Amino acid sequence: MTTPPALKLVRGEAALPPQVQELDWSILMARAQDGDANAYRRLLESIAPYLRAHAVRCHRNPSDVEDAVQDILLTLHAVRATYDPARPFGPWLTAIAKRRLIDRLRRQGRRRALETESDPIHETFADRSANLEHMTHIHDIAAALDRLPPGQREALRLTKIEGLSLKEASAASGMSVAALKVATHRAIRRLRSFFSGGSET
Amino acid sequence: MIPTDDLISALAANLRPVRRLRPPLLRATGFLLLAALILTMIATAHGWRPGLLVRLAEIRFALSLTGAVFTGILAAFAAFVVSLPGRSRHWLWLPLPSLALWLFSIGYQCLNFWTPLVPGAPPGEMASCIATLVLTSLPLSLALALMLRHAALFDPAPVILAASLSVAGITAAALTLFHPLDASIEILMFNLGTGSLIVLSGGAISLFVSNASEKPQ
Repeated sequence: MTTPPALKLVRGEAALPPQVQELDWSILMARAQDGDANAYRRLLESIAPYLRAHAVRCHRNPSDVEDAVQDILLTLHAVRATYDPARPFGPWLTAIAKRRLIDRLRRQGRRRALETESDPIHETFADRSANLEHMTHIHDIAAALDRLPPGQREALRLTKIEGLSLKEASAASGMSVAALKVATHRAIRRLRSFFSGGSET
Repeated sequence: MIPTDDLISALAANLRPVRRLRPPLLRATGFLLLAALILTMIATAHGWRPGLLVRLAEIRFALSLTGAVFTGILAAFAAFVVSLPGRSRHWLWLPLPSLALWLFSIGYQCLNFWTPLVPGAPPGEMASCIATLVLTSLPLSLALALMLRHAALFDPAPVILAASLSVAGITAAALTLFHPLDASIEILMFNLGTGSLIVLSGGAISLFVSNASEKPQ
């Protein structure tokens, strides 16, 4: 049984089998060594995705990946006289790429050793209220404060949250010291009942 | 960082034709011819060591000399091949058998370590011996550094090691041929020590440079 002839549409260089592509690269490099700038540009444009694929395996950050690709391209440019067109291009290119990527990873490892990573949980904000402990309850507390009558809320804010003395709070709010004491006491009792789930009394 | 496409355009625009390196074995042969030339020049200027033929009949002496010469030759081949990207690192094993032979035959020297002057050596022998050392190892090291400089951009450490081993072998052979001293261990240590020093200082410099350039503003 014979297989029917099939017509395959080949789009772009990426679809070529690797051997053909490597032969192509080898020829382009040989011409680049003789000074053919066009061949050189085509070669570099064609190997860049291949190098990127290598670099992606070592770096997660996209800008690191591009840095690595450029590093490899610059090394390739510097040692292009060492390529022998009689030998395959792939191992030559891969050796340079591997060397550069290993160098970069080593350098990165050293840099990391000098740095301390900060956890998001340790992050802090300019707003002072964000730095309170038990941040998980802060919204509940704010909501409970909102439910207090205005007089009690004000008394609690001045004496407990801002930490003023009774005298200072009295001067700031215009309430008497005795009234402040009573209002603060009631406010706290009411808050306690909110959080213990009891009814307001 | 510039876009990669721009970098490619810049590289292509500034492309200059380069001369391809000749095959590594051919270049290594060229280097060894230079070494032979230097040794011949020293031989004509200084003369062979007294009683060379008698010593050559000694098996240990002959083995040591053969080991040193072959280490010099094979390490040079290894250095030239390994300096090219994509060549197997296994070439570095090439000088090891002759190095083992050399080390084995000079092992007895460890007993009178660091005493390069044999008793009864003529005065001035020390200076002439050092002159031979410098005259052999300096031009050879410079020649290798020049011929293998492309490896500095790619992967210098194994190349430097193989190259210094090669220079050590040739220098030790020269010393054995021209002077009544056996300083192989010292030469080996000196050359490999220099090689390691170059590798280490290169590493230190790159560490320093990368730290300086990557320090956050």
